[in-house]
Amino acid sequence: MTEPKAPPRIGEELAKMQAEPLLPIEKKLLAWSLIVGLLLLAILIWTGNSALTPPQ
Amino acid sequence: MAQQTATGEDLALSPQAPLINEDWLAVGTGLVIFLLALALLAGVDLLGWATAPRTWVEIGKSVRQASPAYGEYGPLALLLATYVFVLALLSIGAALLGVHLGRFVLGFSVIYWLSYLAWVLGNYAYVAVTTPADMQRLAIGWSLRLTGESGYLIALLFGLAIANLAPSLARWLSAAARPELYIKTAIVLLGGFLAVKAAEQLSLASTVMVRGLAAIIEAYLIYWAVVYFVARKWFGFSREWAAPLASGISICGVSAAIATAGAIRARPLVPIMVSSLVVFFAMVELLILPFLARSFLADQPLVAAAWMGLAVKTDGAAVASGAVTEALLLGDAAARGVKWSPGWMVGTTTTIKVFIDIFIGVWAFILAYLWTRHIEPRRAGDELRLREIWERFPKFVLGFLATFLLVLGIGLASSPAVLKTVDGAMAQANVFRQLFFLLTFLSIGLMSDVRQLWQEGIGRLAAVYVVSLFGFVIWVGLLISWLFFYGIKPPLAG
Repeated sequence: MTEPKAPPRIGEELAKMQAEPLLPIEKKLLAWSLIVGLLLLAILIWTGNSALTPPQ
Repeated sequence: MAQQTATGEDLALSPQAPLINEDWLAVGTGLVIFLLALALLAGVDLLGWATAPRTWVEIGKSVRQASPAYGEYGPLALLLATYVFVLALLSIGAALLGVHLGRFVLGFSVIYWLSYLAWVLGNYAYVAVTTPADMQRLAIGWSLRLTGESGYLIALLFGLAIANLAPSLARWLSAAARPELYIKTAIVLLGGFLAVKAAEQLSLASTVMVRGLAAIIEAYLIYWAVVYFVARKWFGFSREWAAPLASGISICGVSAAIATAGAIRARPLVPIMVSSLVVFFAMVELLILPFLARSFLADQPLVAAAWMGLAVKTDGAAVASGAVTEALLLGDAAARGVKWSPGWMVGTTTTIKVFIDIFIGVWAFILAYLWTRHIEPRRAGDELRLREIWERFPKFVLGFLATFLLVLGIGLASSPAVLKTVDGAMAQANVFRQLFFLLTFLSIGLMSDVRQLWQEGIGRLAAVYVVSLFGFVIWVGLLISWLFFYGIKPPLAG
């Protein structure tokens, strides 16, 4: 009879992890996310200040 | 989103495959309670027997029923009726989930009564009373001024104590410790409660919703990018680990980690391990952030509420943090003679959380597209399908929208007298909403076994979490909340 396999531990799994450099597509994803995100936030802040004055 | 992970023990206890997932179950459970409460509109009082604690000095007067119509029954009979109703409803759900029924009933009974005890203790006058007038009325000389919602924290502490001092009992209770199911049911019920508030103050509700859109941008486009970069570049994590980790920290915890792992075809153990970490840190945030908000944002209640929605991960802990923040800030304001209408802070936190949840499926689809086309092209026949967006959509949001829109429609189309009846109906449903909150808090505590996480060798993963959460997510969340919610206050009560 075989022993039941122990569940993997986080520490062991992380130790086995291979180094993977950032690919150009990952860099593009991060850069576009930040640019679009900051732009949209700026638009929302602008519309919030001009058109959506909070009720008093 | 449904907690789609199952431990080995859960599987062993499951006599059959689930017929429904937790999201749909939360919708069904919430709607049953909601519709029973709404029968009040037809003059039928079906939930007036629901019993909740009130502020007390003598334990014999610590609970009362929702409607005076049931006053002839003693509190013990009504307490028992409330328990049997919730137990029956959730046992049907447990059977549909494929959970071992006997184990669920026993475990749930323990969790229920401990939660209820925490609720009663939280309403003890020396803990809960907030105003000098109430102190005089109850003839007490002092109070911690924590309001009745302190019961939530007591429930959390009960759960933490069991998880860390009696882990075998926590494991035994695990079949019934389902924070995601309980909080999603509570959120479905919260929809109707918030709609009454929105019908009374439509302009303020619209403002909160429009400003809540900022949360979506922040979570998906700012947080995710920064956390992914930190995990990959500074801590050397592979893509398989970094993407679910970024989603877990940035979006909405467990469900986002699971959806992302599915999208990039990570091994199942990755989201399970990330989820353990998310639940643990959400509990830490829940214990710290509401009290920080109390210290620094006492006069900016909606900034504090939005901050909880943006900074605290997992639906349960976020909405729970909103509830604790509301309790603390309402109590302090009442002591200063300002009585804000309750519900607006927890409503803001929930709106933000729900907005963020809605886009998990879209985000998972975008990641799946990038991974399949550019990073790890899939094998033939393993094509990306648009249907995956719907499959990953958090269905409980539909329950929230249904109760919100139905009550809002009734509220806007009818007379003040009818709106008052709807308010009464939602107050009855609110007894159960609070009960589900308490069950959530206790379950979150039960799942936070610090010792086990430490033994797993979680250090490096936790380091990314700590750096991202405490170095970036919390403070950017505060900044965005400040920019969008500064100066907006709940209406005055009464």
